[in-house]
Amino acid sequence: MNIEPKQISLEKWDEQYNKLRKAGLYEPSYGGRLSRHVEDGDMRLLKLKYDNSAAALRLWNFLLTEEDRLKNARDNCKKLIGTMKDLGTIPVMAYSFENTIAFYPDGAWWIPCVMELNAGLLEIADSLGIDESFCPVRAMLGAFATEAHFPIPDFLICSVGATCDDFSAIAQRLNGMGHPIFWWEMPHRRNPKSYEDKVILPGGFAAPKCQLEFVKSELERIKVALSEISGQEMNDEKLSAGIIKANQVRKYLSELRYLAFTAELCPLPALEMLIAEMLAIHFCSDIDETIEVLKDLLDEVKTRIKNNTGFFDRDAVKIFWVNPVADLQVMNLLEDCGGRICGTEYLFSHALDEIPENIPPLDALAQMALADPMAGSTIDRASRICNDIIKYGSEAVLISRIPGASHCALEGEIIGQVIRENFDIPVVEIEVPPITDAMKPTVRTRLEALVETVKARPQNKIHKRRTE
Amino acid sequence: MKKVIYTCPYVSAEWIAAYGLKPCRIVPYSNGTNSGIIRTEGLCPYVRDFINNLNEKEECIAVFTTLCDQMRRGFDIVTSRLDTPAFLMNIPSTWQTIASQKLYLDELKRLGNFLVQSGGKTPSDETLAEGMLKYNKARKSILEMNDKLSALQYAQLLEQFGKNGPDEVGRMGFSPCCSSIPLAIVGSPLLKHDFEILEITELLGGRIVLNATENGERGLCSPFNKRKLKENLLMELADTYFNSIHDASRRPNSELYKWLKINLVEREVKGIIFHRNIWCDIWHAELQRLKDWIDLPVLDIESTGDNQSTNQNTINRIRAFLEMLS
Ligand code: SF4
Ligand code: SF4
Repeated sequence: MNIEPKQISLEKWDEQYNKLRKAGLYEPSYGGRLSRHVEDGDMRLLKLKYDNSAAALRLWNFLLTEEDRLKNARDNCKKLIGTMKDLGTIPVMAYSFENTIAFYPDGAWWIPCVMELNAGLLEIADSLGIDESFCPVRAMLGAFATEAHFPIPDFLICSVGATCDDFSAIAQRLNGMGHPIFWWEMPHRRNPKSYEDKVILPGGFAAPKCQLEFVKSELERIKVALSEISGQEMNDEKLSAGIIKANQVRKYLSELRYLAFTAELCPLPALEMLIAEMLAIHFCSDIDETIEVLKDLLDEVKTRIKNNTGFFDRDAVKIFWVNPVADLQVMNLLEDCGGRICGTEYLFSHALDEIPENIPPLDALAQMALADPMAGSTIDRASRICNDIIKYGSEAVLISRIPGASHCALEGEIIGQVIRENFDIPVVEIEVPPITDAMKPTVRTRLEALVETVKARPQNKIHKRRTE
Repeated sequence: MKKVIYTCPYVSAEWIAAYGLKPCRIVPYSNGTNSGIIRTEGLCPYVRDFINNLNEKEECIAVFTTLCDQMRRGFDIVTSRLDTPAFLMNIPSTWQTIASQKLYLDELKRLGNFLVQSGGKTPSDETLAEGMLKYNKARKSILEMNDKLSALQYAQLLEQFGKNGPDEVGRMGFSPCCSSIPLAIVGSPLLKHDFEILEITELLGGRIVLNATENGERGLCSPFNKRKLKENLLMELADTYFNSIHDASRRPNSELYKWLKINLVEREVKGIIFHRNIWCDIWHAELQRLKDWIDLPVLDIESTGDNQSTNQNTINRIRAFLEMLS
C-alpha cells in the first residue's frame, strides 16, 4: 500500500490502523492500535504527532510494549539484568548469554513526560530527598519504589567514575534503599601522551592503551558476574556473535541516520528517529526484533527517498540536536517551527558506532565503552559534533539543556565555543523540562528565532569550517 | 617556588612537595563580583570560585580531579580559556578492587610526570620520605588541636596547612570554644565565606567537635604506616590517601558512614549540621540518607555561593536547631 507520508495525531492513527489492516498489514505479536497505550497512562501520546507508516507503527508498538516483554522474560525464567549508565556496552555482553535480558532502568527518565507527571514518580523521588535539582532520571527511584514500570532486575550493574553526578548519586541512593549494585569503574578518557601506546576508538576518539586495558579488566569482572548469575559460561565465540548482532543494529541505524539527515526531503520525522536511535542502547529487550523494526524503517525511508516524498518543506532548516529532550513534544515543535533534525548527539553516540569485529571481543567492547562521549572531555565531544555537522550539513546547533543535569552547567558553554570556533553557524541552548506546556510559547519563540536566523543568512555562510 | 593549586583531598601534598613545588590546597572564595570567567546557572559555587580564583592567580599550576562531574568539566573550561597549565587526575569512584587502587597509584605517577614537565624535579626516596613524615607529624598535631581551638580557628588552621604546608602548624594561638552542645558539620567543602557558619554556630551555643566537610578533618589522610614506609614509599602514600579518606562520591560510599559512626559516637555528637553547596548532587543525595541512618537531628544548610549562606534566615535556623538541642 502506497501511503503519502504525513504526521498524524493518535486519534487519526486509529483510522490509519484500520486502513493498514484492510490492506493486509503484517503485525508482530506486540502489534495493535497505538491508542491502547493511553489506557496504560501514557497521556503524552495524545499530544504527539506521528509518522503514518506501518514501519512507524511497529516502532512505537515495540517501544511501548517493553514492560510486557520483560515480564514475559521473567516468566520464562530468564534473568533480568538492570544495566545502568554506560548506555550501550553491557547489554551487548548480556545479550550474548542465552538466558539474560538487559535493560536500562535509566529509561525511567522519560516516564514523567510520557505519563505527563501522573505516575507520581517525581514525588516519590522528592520524598527520598532527590528533588528537582537532579535531572529527570530521578524518576528511576520512584520506579523502583513502586515496582510499577518495570520488574525489579535480578542483578544491577552500574558504571561510575567518569559519569554524571546525578546518576551516580541516585544509584547510590538506590543502593542505600537496599538494592545491591555491582559497580564498575569508567575512567575519564584522556588524550594519550606522545610516549604512550594509544588506540583509536570507534567514533574517532583516541585513548592511551593502559586505559583500554583497565576498562577491559572491568568488563572481565562483569563477564564473570554475568556468568554466575546466568549459570552459563561465556566465551569469545558467544561474545563475538553478540557483537555481530549488535553491529547489525548499528549498521541499520547508521544508514538510517545518514539517509534521514541528508535526504533533500526529510524522510522520517525527528521523533521516530529519536526512538530508533534509542533502540541501540539495549535493543528494547529484544535484539532480533530490533533488527526487524529498523529494517522496516530503513525500507520505508528508502522508498520515500526513491519516490521523492517526505515531510516538511525542502528548505526546512537543518538542525543538529545535542542531548535528548525531556519532553518528546519539543521534537514535533521544532518541525512546526520550520526545522528538521540533521545530526544528533543524544549522549550515546558510542552506541551507534560499529564495534570492531577483527579484535578479541572484550577488547572491542572495552573500546566501545571508552568511546562514550560523556566519559571524556567536553571538548572531545564537541569535536565529534563538529565532524557530524560536516557529515550531515547541519545549519544550526541546538543544545537542549536538561534540567538539573550536572553536565549541563558547563558543557553548553564549551560545546558552543568549539562549534563557533569551527563554523559560522548559530548555536543556541534551550532548557527543556519533562513537560513544556507552560513554557511552550517561550520555547517556540526561541526555535522560530533560530530557524529565521538561519534562513536570513547567505547560503555560502553555512556549514563551512572557518579554517577552510 | 611554583605553586600547585588544588582543592581535592585525594591530591597528595607531600607528593607535590617532593618535586620541589609548592602544594597549595586552597579554600576557594568568592570575590563578591560577577567578574569571574564563569557564572553559569546550575554550577556548584565551589567549582565556580575555584576556577575564578585560578584566573586571578599569577603563574601557577592547577590540579583538578574527577571527584565529581562538575570539577571534571571545570578542567575543560580552564584548558580552553586560561593559560594556566592544568592537570586532571583520575580519582576512581570504586575502591574495592585492586585495579582501582592501582589506577590511583598510576595517576599519582602521571601527576609526577606532569610536575616534572612543569618545572619539578623527580624526587629521591629520601626526599619523599622526609616530606611524608613531616606532613604526618603536622596532621597529628592538627588533630590534637581540635578541642583546643574554636571551630573557625580549626578550619583556618586546616586551611593554612593546606595552603602553606606543615611549617605553619602550631603557630596559632589557643582559644577553645566554651559552648556546650557538641555538633558535627558534615558535607560538601566549605567556601571561605561559609566559615561564618562555624563561627555563628559557636556564638549561638553550639560546639563543633567534628568538622567532617571535605576541607575539614575528613579530608585528612590517616598516619602513614612507618614499617610500610620502609618497604614501598609510594605504595604506602597511595594506599593511605586512597583508602583512608572517605568521600560521598565513593561507590559504594559505605566507608564514609562507618567513619562517621565512629567519630560521632566517640565525640558524643548531639546534632549534625549538614552543609551542601547548591547544585552538588553528590552531597545533596546523602542528606535524606543520613537522616534515615542516624538517630540524631540534622539541620540542612545549603550554600548558594553568593555570600548569603549566613543570612538572617540561616542564623535563625541554627538558633532554633540549638534551642531544640539544649
Ligand atoms: S541526563 Fe545527563 S545528568 Fe541525567 S542521567 Fe543522563 S547523563 Fe546523567
Ligand atoms: S561541592 Fe559537590 S559539586 Fe561542588 S566540587 Fe564538591 S563534590 Fe563537586
